[in-house]
Amino acid sequence: MSLLDIRDLQVAFDTRAGVVQAVNGVNLRVERGETMALVGESGSGKSVTAYAILRLLAKPAGRISGGQVLFQGTDLVQLDERAIRAIRGNRIAMIFQEPLAALNPVLSIGRQITEAIRLHRDASPRAAWEQAVELLDRVQIPSPRQRAQDYPHQLSGGMRQRAMIAIALACEPDLLIADEPTTALDVTTQAQILALLKQLQLSTGMGLLLITHDLGVVAEVADRAAVMYAGRVVEEGGVNALFANPAHPYTQGLLASLQMDRLRAGERLPEIAGTVPSLLDLPEGCAFAPRCGQAHRLCRAESPRLGPAGTAQRVACFFPMAEPVARSLAA
Amino acid sequence: MKAAAISVSPLSGVLSVGGPARRGWAFAQRLLRNRSALIGLVLLAAVLALATAGRWLFPGDPWEMAGAPMLWPGQEADHPLGTDFMGRDLATGLVSGAGVSLLIGLVSTVLAALVGTAVGALGGYYRGWVDAALMRVTEVFQTVPKFVLAVVLVAIFKPSVGTVVLAIGAVSWPPTARLVRSEFLALREREFVLAARTLGMGDARLILTQILPNALPPVVALASLSVATAIQTEASLAFLGLGDPNVMSWGTIIGGGREQVIDAWYICGLPGAAIVLTVLGFNLLGEGLNDVLNPHLRER
Amino acid sequence: MSAARPPEGARTAARKGEGYPVSTPLLELRNVVKRFGQGAGVVQALDRVSLQVARGETLGLVGESGCGKSTVAKVAMRLLEVDEGQVVLDGADLTRARQAELKPYRARLQMVFQDPHSSLNPRASVGRLLEEPLIVHRRGNARERREQVQAMMARVGLRPEMAERYPHEFSGGQRQRIGIARALMLRPDLVICDEAVSALDVSIRAQVINLLLDLREEFQVSYLFISHDLSIVRHVADRVAVMYLGQVVELAPRDSLWREPLHPYTRALIAAIPSTQPRGEQPPARALLSGDLPSPLAPPAGCRFHTRCPQAQPRCSREAPEFSELAPSHWVACHFA
Repeated sequence: MSLLDIRDLQVAFDTRAGVVQAVNGVNLRVERGETMALVGESGSGKSVTAYAILRLLAKPAGRISGGQVLFQGTDLVQLDERAIRAIRGNRIAMIFQEPLAALNPVLSIGRQITEAIRLHRDASPRAAWEQAVELLDRVQIPSPRQRAQDYPHQLSGGMRQRAMIAIALACEPDLLIADEPTTALDVTTQAQILALLKQLQLSTGMGLLLITHDLGVVAEVADRAAVMYAGRVVEEGGVNALFANPAHPYTQGLLASLQMDRLRAGERLPEIAGTVPSLLDLPEGCAFAPRCGQAHRLCRAESPRLGPAGTAQRVACFFPMAEPVARSLAA
Repeated sequence: MKAAAISVSPLSGVLSVGGPARRGWAFAQRLLRNRSALIGLVLLAAVLALATAGRWLFPGDPWEMAGAPMLWPGQEADHPLGTDFMGRDLATGLVSGAGVSLLIGLVSTVLAALVGTAVGALGGYYRGWVDAALMRVTEVFQTVPKFVLAVVLVAIFKPSVGTVVLAIGAVSWPPTARLVRSEFLALREREFVLAARTLGMGDARLILTQILPNALPPVVALASLSVATAIQTEASLAFLGLGDPNVMSWGTIIGGGREQVIDAWYICGLPGAAIVLTVLGFNLLGEGLNDVLNPHLRER
Repeated sequence: MSAARPPEGARTAARKGEGYPVSTPLLELRNVVKRFGQGAGVVQALDRVSLQVARGETLGLVGESGCGKSTVAKVAMRLLEVDEGQVVLDGADLTRARQAELKPYRARLQMVFQDPHSSLNPRASVGRLLEEPLIVHRRGNARERREQVQAMMARVGLRPEMAERYPHEFSGGQRQRIGIARALMLRPDLVICDEAVSALDVSIRAQVINLLLDLREEFQVSYLFISHDLSIVRHVADRVAVMYLGQVVELAPRDSLWREPLHPYTRALIAAIPSTQPRGEQPPARALLSGDLPSPLAPPAGCRFHTRCPQAQPRCSREAPEFSELAPSHWVACHFA
C-alpha cells in the first residue's frame, strides 16, 4: 500500500467569472522513503494539489469536487474536520515557501515547535522544550538552545526555513509536503536546505512530496517526478529517465530552455511559444496543443490521458517523443 | 533574494477588457451589483428627486406662512406634510432643505477633498520637513473638536451658505489628508514610480499622472462618507441657528420645531427622517464604492 | 543625443568574451560607497564598488541577497545618491548633477525592472505608458509618437491593437515585454536589466531572454544584466562581476570566469547551481558553503567572506584583500587566489 495515493483528484474554485477546474484528474503516488517532485508553473495546479491533500483549500471558493486522497489507505477527502486536524502536523506535515509569512512573528521558534508537539502528543512543557532543542539541532541550527528563544525576525532566511522544517518534523510525520521550500532562498542557502531535506528523509524514512517549478531542484533531490500542466499530470516517471528522455513535448521544452550550457553563449534559447492557458478558457482536447510543435488534429479534438499505472514512465500525449532531441518548439 | 516565479493568475485575462469607456461601464455594472451601493444610490436618487422634482411640485417660499399653524400631515390637501408652528408648509421646507443640504454637503466635501489631497500628496511625496510641517498642521486641526471649531468659525464670520461651506470644509480635510498621505507614501516606492523617475519625469508630472490616479480610489470612497458627515454638521449648525438666515435647511426646520417635539413631533421628525435617509444613502454608497474600488486596486 | 554605433570590433570582441575593448566606458562606477541608516544601524550597501560597462557589451552582475546588486542599479540610474565615489556616463560625471541636469542623460540610460506586476502604472493604458518617455523628452508630435509606440509593440511581440488595454489584462511575460519596450523607446545606449526574468514563469523566461538577445543586436544596446541566476548570466553576458556583501569580489570575461573561477565565493556559487543534467546514481559531493550570510550591519572584518570561506586563513580576518588583476582582464579580491 502506498504511503500516499491520489486518485483522479478534482479541485474546483468558484469565482466570479465561473468555475475554474484547477486540478483536473490528478493521479499520483508517493512511497515511504521516496521523494516525489510535483513540477509545474503557475496555473498548473501543483500547489492546489498539495493543499488539497491536507484539505487546506480556501473555503468556500475552493472545493474538492472529485477523486480520492488515500493516505495509508484512508481517504482524507471523506474525513471530518476533527479527524483531518489530527493528521495535520502529526502524520502529514507541510512546509511553505515563505517562512517569514508562515511563522508566527510573536512567538519564539522554540515555542512554535513545542506548540506543534503538545498539540498532538502528551508531553510536559519541559519535555517538549527539550525535544524542540533537539529538533533544532537536527536541522543543523547552530547553538540550538539559545536559538530556540529567538523570534523569526531575528533569524536569516535559511535559518527560518530550517526552523519551519523543525516544526514540521516535531511529531515525526510519515509524509512531508514541501511547497516551494527553497524558492525564496539564495542559491547557496537553497543547496544547504535541499541537502538537509534529503538527509532528514534518509534518516526518518518519511515520504517527501516536493512542490516546485525549478527543474534543477528536481534533479538534485527527487527520485520521481510528475510534471503538471493546466491542472493535469502530463508526464511522470523516475527522475533520471525523465531528464534523459523526456517524452512529453512540454517537459522536453522546459528542459531544453533550461539547459543553456548546451548552447553557445548568446545563442537563442529553445523556447515554448505562447503562454499558459487561462483555466477558465481551456482549449478543446490537449491543453498543451496550442503551444506544441507537433500538435496533430487528434490533439485538438481529444484530451490524452496519462498512461497506465505501474509503468516506469507515464505520458499523457498521443505522440510522445522518442528521442531526447532539444529543438525549438515554436508552434 | 531569489524571487518566486510569480505569475498572473489564469483569471486575469477575464477581467475588464477594453478602453476607458468600457472600463467605466464595467465599473458601473460592478457598483450596481454591490448591494450597499445599490441601496445607497436608490436613497440618494430619492433625495435628489425631492430636491429637483419636489421643487417643481412645491414651488414657493418655504419661509412663507402659507397656512394654519401646526397642521398635521394629511390633515389638509394643500399641505400634505403639514405645517410648523408658524404656519410654514413643511413639504416646501423639506424640498428646499434637500437642495440646501445636498449643495452644502457636496461643495464642502469637494473643498475638503481638494485641500486634503493637496496636503497629503505633498507631505507623502516629499516627506522630510515638508511632511513634518504639514502633519503638525493636520494634527492641530484634528485635535480640535470638529463641531466646536465649525461653530466658532461660522460664528466669527457671520453665518451664510458660503461661511458654512468653508467652515465644514475647513474641519473635514484632515482624514483625507492622512489617507492620501499614506497612499502616497506607499505608492512612491512602487516600481512604476521609480520607472517614471528613470525616464526623467519631473515631480509635478509624476505626482499628477503616476501617483494621484492610483491614490484616488480610496479618496472617492471616503468622500462619499464625508458628505454624510458634512450634511449632519450642516444640519446641526442650522439647528443651533448658525445656518444662513436666508436659507431654510432641514436643520433649521428641526431647530424651529424644538419646542413642539411632544405634541407636534412631525415637525422635527420629517426633516430628521430625511437627514437619516440621506446620510444612510451616502454611507452605503461609500461602503459600496470602497468594496468595488479598492479590491480592484489590489487585484493582480 | 543619439547613440553612436559602437566600433566594429567591439561587439565581436565582446561576444567572444575575451575582454573589453579599449575605449571610454559607457557607464562607470568609481569607488562608489553607499550607506543606509544612521548611527549604530548603518548598512554599507556598497563598499568601494568599481565597475565599467563598455559600448556594445553586456556586463553580468551576480550575487545573492544583500550583495548590493540592486543598489548598484539604483545608484547608476541616480535614483539614489552616492555617499562617496562617482557615477560617470560616457565621460560625463553625473554624481552630483541635479535632477534637471540629468534629464538628457536619462534618455541614454534606461532600466527594466524585476516585477512585471508593479513596474507598470496600473491606471495607464499600455499605449500611454509607452508614449510617456517620448512625451517627457519631447520627441515627435502626437502622430509620430503613436507610430513609434505601435512599431515598438510589434517589435517586442505584442499586437499593436492592444495599446488601449491596461497592464492587468496582460500576462506576466507580456508585461515584461512592455517594460522592455518602454526602456527602449528612447533608444538608450545602456539598459540595466535588474532581475528582468526572475519573476517570470520558467517557460516564459526563454522567450524574454531571446527577446533581450534579439533587441541587443538590433538596437546595438549595452546591458548591465543583474541576476542571481548564474546560468542565465553565463548565457547572456560578455563579462561577469560577482558581488558579495557590498563588494565586487571577482570580475572576469565570461569564459575565464567559468573555466577558472578564482574566488572561493564564485566557486561556491557555481557549485550551488542545481544541475539539470540527470544525476548519476550518487549525487556528486559538492562543496557547500557553511553558515549563513552575515548581517550587513556587522560585516566581518578583513575579507568579508572569510567567515564562510573553506580556505580562510588567519590573515583573512585581519586584512582585506586588494582587488587585483591576476590574469588578463581577470580581477579578484582574495589573498590566496
